[in-house]
Amino acid sequence: MSESLYDVVIIGGGMSGLMAGIYLAGKGFKTAIISRGDPVCCLSTGCIDLLDAGVRPLEAIVDLPDGHPYRLVGKKGIDAALKVFRDIMAFCPIPYVGSARHNREILTPIGTFKTTCLVPRTMEASQGCRDEYLHVISFAGIRDFYPSYITSKLPNTGFSLYDAGVSSTLAIATRFEEAGFVDEFCTWLSSLEIPPGRVALPAVLGLVNPMAVMEEISGRIGRDVFEIPTLPPSIPGLRLFRTLKKSFQDRGGDVFWGKPISSVETRGNVVEAVTLAASGRPSRVQGRAFILATGSFVSGGLYAARDAVSETVFGLPVEVPGARKDWFLNDFFTHGHPIEGSGIEVDASFRPRRNELENLFVCGSILAGSEIMKHHCGHGLALATGLKAAISCERALP
Amino acid sequence: MGLFLSIKTDVIIIGGGATGCGIARDLALRGVPHQLVERGDFASGATGACHGLLHSGGRYAVKDPDAARECIIENAILRRIARKCVEPTGGLFVRLPGDSKRYRDEFMASCSAAGIETSVLSPSKALDLVPSLNPTLEEAISVPDCSIDPFRLCMLNAYTSRHRGGGILTHHEVVEIIQEKGRCVGIKARERLTSQIKEIRGRVIINATGAWGDKVARLAGTSVPMSLSKGSLIITNHRLTNMVINRLRPPSDGDIIVPNEAVCLAGTTSIPVPDPNALEIDPAEVDIVATQAEQMIPAFGTTRLIRAYTGVRPLLKPASPSGDGRSISRGFQVIDHGNGMFSILGGKLTTYRLMAEKMVDVVMAHFGIKAACRTAELPLEGQDELSGYPLSKRLSSMDDIVCECELVARHTVEHAINTMGTQYVGDIQHRTRLGMGPCQGGFCTYRALGIMQDLGRVSPEVSITILKEFLQRRFKGIRPALWGDQLREEQLIESIYLGILNMGSRP
Repeated sequence: MSESLYDVVIIGGGMSGLMAGIYLAGKGFKTAIISRGDPVCCLSTGCIDLLDAGVRPLEAIVDLPDGHPYRLVGKKGIDAALKVFRDIMAFCPIPYVGSARHNREILTPIGTFKTTCLVPRTMEASQGCRDEYLHVISFAGIRDFYPSYITSKLPNTGFSLYDAGVSSTLAIATRFEEAGFVDEFCTWLSSLEIPPGRVALPAVLGLVNPMAVMEEISGRIGRDVFEIPTLPPSIPGLRLFRTLKKSFQDRGGDVFWGKPISSVETRGNVVEAVTLAASGRPSRVQGRAFILATGSFVSGGLYAARDAVSETVFGLPVEVPGARKDWFLNDFFTHGHPIEGSGIEVDASFRPRRNELENLFVCGSILAGSEIMKHHCGHGLALATGLKAAISCERALP
Repeated sequence: MGLFLSIKTDVIIIGGGATGCGIARDLALRGVPHQLVERGDFASGATGACHGLLHSGGRYAVKDPDAARECIIENAILRRIARKCVEPTGGLFVRLPGDSKRYRDEFMASCSAAGIETSVLSPSKALDLVPSLNPTLEEAISVPDCSIDPFRLCMLNAYTSRHRGGGILTHHEVVEIIQEKGRCVGIKARERLTSQIKEIRGRVIINATGAWGDKVARLAGTSVPMSLSKGSLIITNHRLTNMVINRLRPPSDGDIIVPNEAVCLAGTTSIPVPDPNALEIDPAEVDIVATQAEQMIPAFGTTRLIRAYTGVRPLLKPASPSGDGRSISRGFQVIDHGNGMFSILGGKLTTYRLMAEKMVDVVMAHFGIKAACRTAELPLEGQDELSGYPLSKRLSSMDDIVCECELVARHTVEHAINTMGTQYVGDIQHRTRLGMGPCQGGFCTYRALGIMQDLGRVSPEVSITILKEFLQRRFKGIRPALWGDQLREEQLIESIYLGILNMGSRP
């Protein structure tokens, strides 16, 4: 068995785990992130939803229920977390725009608008796009993007179809990074007689450096261009994840990817180590402190059996909203299916409340009362609680 | 109210389940003009919400020998005439520790009396055949149960009707039964999406609407005595057995498991309901069925359930019916309302052909025509053309997959849309298996609607409405069985529609 010792071991490589990891590694702690696989943020829009409550989300934090994790972080903490995130991204090929003080709207693939807060700059021009003519570009054979949904909903719109020779979002994004492709695409785009206004595309403008692609297109046709986030798998989500993971590694963090945890070791009130299952050679990872950021049901931090919900790494007590018959509302579209409130209750320092473990901190969507779909607060909550748990952890480390 | 169209025919059949479609085929083969009207797609009532079990009759042998005899005769006929929609799986009745040996003896004797062939298998022989069985079983008795595809069965019966001068209108709801001088002379039917009204005039109306029988009879100023009972079933995401598995004990909840394509169906419950239009599945029903199925096949306890569904058994009230009703068998009944309307009630999927035969015999007598029933001799027509969408075909065209769970390609979806000219996403699902897998259409329905837009079949506005209705209906089936991996998937689907696409609403 291979052994390693860290100051902090973070379990879960999603948004909150990466945020905590980047902060702690940046402070010089020897930090590791363990992840069973790529996180669910790869399936997201790539935008940072903070809180879907009017134009000033920070002001609405106080209206959330007492148990909501945002209430534990507080306005200042949330604002700070988003600033930290934006600063991290500023040095990457995908800068983000916006601030926690203002929400913005982006166009969705079905022509609705969605409230979010920070967006990658490739989506900046989505804000206000209904005020002028919008031309939507789609790609032949693409499965999850049908521009007629948008053009039927917004009056002043049109669309054109480009054949990139490939049809999956990932394959098209890869083409945009091939030499000569952008030029070919721009030549075609310039040949269309599009009325003055903006141009929107599904989010496929390359995986690594979409800003460069977007600026080239925008410069060539002389108008604002923006991306529309698509259904999973999502290129902006993938970019976001890869960028954060790289930022963590650049700060000296270690990653253990693709290995599930097979056992945990505790002594008294202290978590000492976790063992990772790996064929042939399991590894034992010791830490002075641990951060649990395994997410909710989709990412596998929580598991719902027929009649009970469990936390999958430490077996922590889970808050559950009643019996199974009460987990979901009858109406699919109504926000706030009660199951969303289930999770781990924490104290002000983000330690599990109903548990004696002293060196364990919890962050992200596994927190009780998050209700992410109801409030549209996914990535915002991950960043804010990830930073908060990391700061608590930092203070606790001697 | 939209455009008014008028059609004239001899027999109007209301209901596109197995019985209605069987009647249409029978009439077509006897050369009688007819028109079938169905509110939804084929098999959208009890026909499509049952086990898909072609009974050997074993299940009824002890309690209802007549029904058992009917079943085994029809079982042999359907295996002969409907090869492409019957899978001759064979069935087992398994006796578990604690199940009565006396019932077993009675079962064997009753099967023998009804003409149902049985053989007794030792536990090890049974486990050889079905390795997933509960290893503590005492014994198993084999019977000629089969798995049957009810939807394809309806399509094939309708095929004969369509090709022999019959008319079939799906997605048309009967809103009025036209009466003149106390007699039913026609109907008005409303097309679901366009609300266009069609008037159909005929000499006789057959009410083959199953659980909706009384509602339709009331449109004609009469009624039929029914007691409605819902039966709920669950679907696993893979095929845990290749044979039909029954529990060897008096019929009760959750005692039948049927393999169907890539999945298994288990059920049912039996709970009285007042209204066939307002069905809900209680999560407790799912627990009952899953727990019972788990006793026969332990893997049921750990296998992912993709959804639950429920149908209404159109049972007859035991009291003698009003009007000129006459009993044809214990299982089903033809009622002559004496005003030009006939109702056919009760029965089961396995005996649909016999029910159709008896019904049409009555109509023929009413018309004074002599023409013998031929539905038992002739194989169903169109079986090669409509032989479903077997996996081998799907695997040979892997490019451009629209539904990843069931491997349905775009050109298959386009073909279904073009040949039917349909505006209903459910029609595509039934005919291609799109959306029938673990995600239950969560990803591919949006795509199918996009393709329908591309082909100009449906406007984007309408497709959003259809998508919403679909998601709501889908959720209704999934909600009672939400835990484990299915719950994970559901949260992902929610994040797409309520998150990325922002289709949700505040309470």
